[in-house]
Amino acid sequence: MLFRVRNVVLFAAAVAGLALTIETEPSAQEAGSVRGRVSIGIPITAKRGTSTYSRSVPTVALAPESELRHVVVYVKDAPKTAVAPMRAEIRQRNENFVPRLVAVTVGSTVDFPNDDPIYHNVFSLSRAKTFDLGRFPQGKSRSELFDKPGVVKVFCQIHSHMSATVMVFDHRWFEVPDQQGMFDLPGVPPGMHQVTAFHERLGDTTQQVRIEPGRATTVDFVLPVPAQP
Amino acid sequence: MTVTFATVAVILTIVFIVITLDVRDRVRAAETDKLRVSENVFTALETKRQQDQVAAMATLAENPTLKAALDTYFTERRFSGSSDEQLRATVMGEAAKLATQTPADVLAVVENNGRIFSSAGPAASHWRLGDTVDVPRGSQATFQSVAVLPTGAFRVTGARLTFGDRVIGALVAGTNLDANYAQELSNLSTAGVVITVNNAVVARTVPENVARDLVASKLTAATATLGGEEYAIRTMLASGPARIYTLTSIDAAARSAERDALVAVGLIAFGGFILAAIGSFILARLLSEPINRVSGEIATMTNAREFGRTLELTGSSREVDALTTAFNDLMRGLSAAEAETRSAYLGAIRALAAALDARDPYTAGHSERVGTLSVMMGRMMNLEAGALEVLRLGALLHDIGKIGVADEILHKDGPLTPEEFEQIKRHPALGARILRQVPFLAPHLPIVELHHERPDGRGYPFGFRGEVIPLDARIVHVADAFDAMTSARAYRAALPASVAFAELQRFSGTQFDPACVEALLAAMPVSHDIAEPALAQLLARQMV
Repeated sequence: MLFRVRNVVLFAAAVAGLALTIETEPSAQEAGSVRGRVSIGIPITAKRGTSTYSRSVPTVALAPESELRHVVVYVKDAPKTAVAPMRAEIRQRNENFVPRLVAVTVGSTVDFPNDDPIYHNVFSLSRAKTFDLGRFPQGKSRSELFDKPGVVKVFCQIHSHMSATVMVFDHRWFEVPDQQGMFDLPGVPPGMHQVTAFHERLGDTTQQVRIEPGRATTVDFVLPVPAQP
Repeated sequence: MTVTFATVAVILTIVFIVITLDVRDRVRAAETDKLRVSENVFTALETKRQQDQVAAMATLAENPTLKAALDTYFTERRFSGSSDEQLRATVMGEAAKLATQTPADVLAVVENNGRIFSSAGPAASHWRLGDTVDVPRGSQATFQSVAVLPTGAFRVTGARLTFGDRVIGALVAGTNLDANYAQELSNLSTAGVVITVNNAVVARTVPENVARDLVASKLTAATATLGGEEYAIRTMLASGPARIYTLTSIDAAARSAERDALVAVGLIAFGGFILAAIGSFILARLLSEPINRVSGEIATMTNAREFGRTLELTGSSREVDALTTAFNDLMRGLSAAEAETRSAYLGAIRALAAALDARDPYTAGHSERVGTLSVMMGRMMNLEAGALEVLRLGALLHDIGKIGVADEILHKDGPLTPEEFEQIKRHPALGARILRQVPFLAPHLPIVELHHERPDGRGYPFGFRGEVIPLDARIVHVADAFDAMTSARAYRAALPASVAFAELQRFSGTQFDPACVEALLAAMPVSHDIAEPALAQLLARQMV
């Protein structure tokens, strides 16, 4: 009985996926998927790099989420597809951007609310989006529309240690792993593809993956990439 | 004075030499300690300076624009494969601004792989973009080291450019280890500085041979002999291939301090000499000179036998004055004793002469009268008081020799036979023989011995002529003859004075000395008048 129920669910999912693929992708029949797990090999500390003088910034609240929240896995050489705009949020809390990484589609808007009782500033020098939201106090929020794909580095002019990254994609094959580091990118066109795992601080690593039509390929990532001897 | 000064000078010289030898050692030890301390202080200051620079770099490395531009640049390069030169320009612009805030020769942004991303500052040309520079890698927030570039070595202080744990590069301030830096350190430390890279001297503020010896010495001790002088050496920096040494010549430091100390000691010694000279001078004035003077006076007095004189007090030395006073008292006592003795003698002799005169009633008082006349004549002839005294006593004694002449000859009424007269003529020599026994009567001896000599040489006992006969003797001769003529004799009456004068004048020049005869005449202004009562009185009194 249980077995049957699961099969039904699977079937329904497949049908649903098929239907979705048919809608968006003419060659849906041939699509495969990439799934796997991202693991972080070193502990990420909230310690500040400049230790010459110490400022009392509460470190407990610095990274409440798992650092996996700051990873995005995406198909690097994916073809451009039509995507729906999204709305995301990077808060400024305890002199940090939280989260430090968001991945959005082209045309999405990111809000930058200030939770701290001090002024913050949000600016970027990136080609994909150059902007300066100016300085604003607690409770205020400024927003920015990201209309070009690419990596947008975001900083605070007041607090030089703050940084965040907005990844803007013009396709839909990107995902932030779940709390266990699991990710699943379905509907990837078959063939050789470059799949990248990017961490806002630990850097990125890319693997060549052969996508088999109708099959799920498993790729695991370890960040940071162990140094080559 | 000379002796006193020489003694003090010798003592001072010995003290000076001993102190000089001692000062050398002490100064050297003190200078070595001083150099160590000063090098320690400088090293501490320099460490502090470096810490300040590290702190400054850490602050500069927090520049948000620079970090944002650099991080964005690297991200763009990685993800789009192309570089945004505007971002590089932004980074370089910020770095150039920061460069003006640091005293370093160069301020560079270095990528994690060691490549120079940007450089600014006076020595930026040494740090070419794209070259790799060897600065410490890793995650420590700040670092200090030495970077060797093809065009020179730099002392570097760096701070990481980070976002949290993510290191995007390093901001590095470099100071050229050149002659300027060596000079600057040298000025700060007031010591010589030698900078070596891979054991080759790249900069120095000390003579070349000293730097060469320093490298050759391998530096195993805190002191070493370099270029012939002893140096105190400290390794200020040992980083990678670079070494910075500070060194100071102990000899040179000791030399100047030694010179100072010796000058001080020399001045003290000089002052000592001066004081000694002054002291000797004062001492001489207070003691030596008065003593010399007093002893000289005593010697003079002894030679001249004038013991009656008193010595003058010095007034400058109590001790010498006390001695002088004692001496004067002693001399006074002696003089008194001598005078007493003398008067005792004189009394005895006078008694003898009187006794002699008394043997014959006709000659009684003769000696006293001859004495009185002689003194009157001597006074007329301007003789001194001493000479008058000699004259008086000599006249008193002139016939003392008659004691050895027999009474029958002396008192004979009739004419004398030649034999008898010969007996009489012996009395001057006899008298001289008696007087020779008494030393203090020596001055009167010529009178006694020669009062019968005549200017024409026909006198006795020697037959001397004219000036050869002493004046005293000539005076006494005249006085004797005058008194003899004016006195009564057993065989005739006394002649009047005028007759006696005439007789004297008649034989003046042959028998009597003319000057003495003149003197006698002058001494008796009333001589031609025998009735003059004054003379009679005088003569009568003298007879008593």
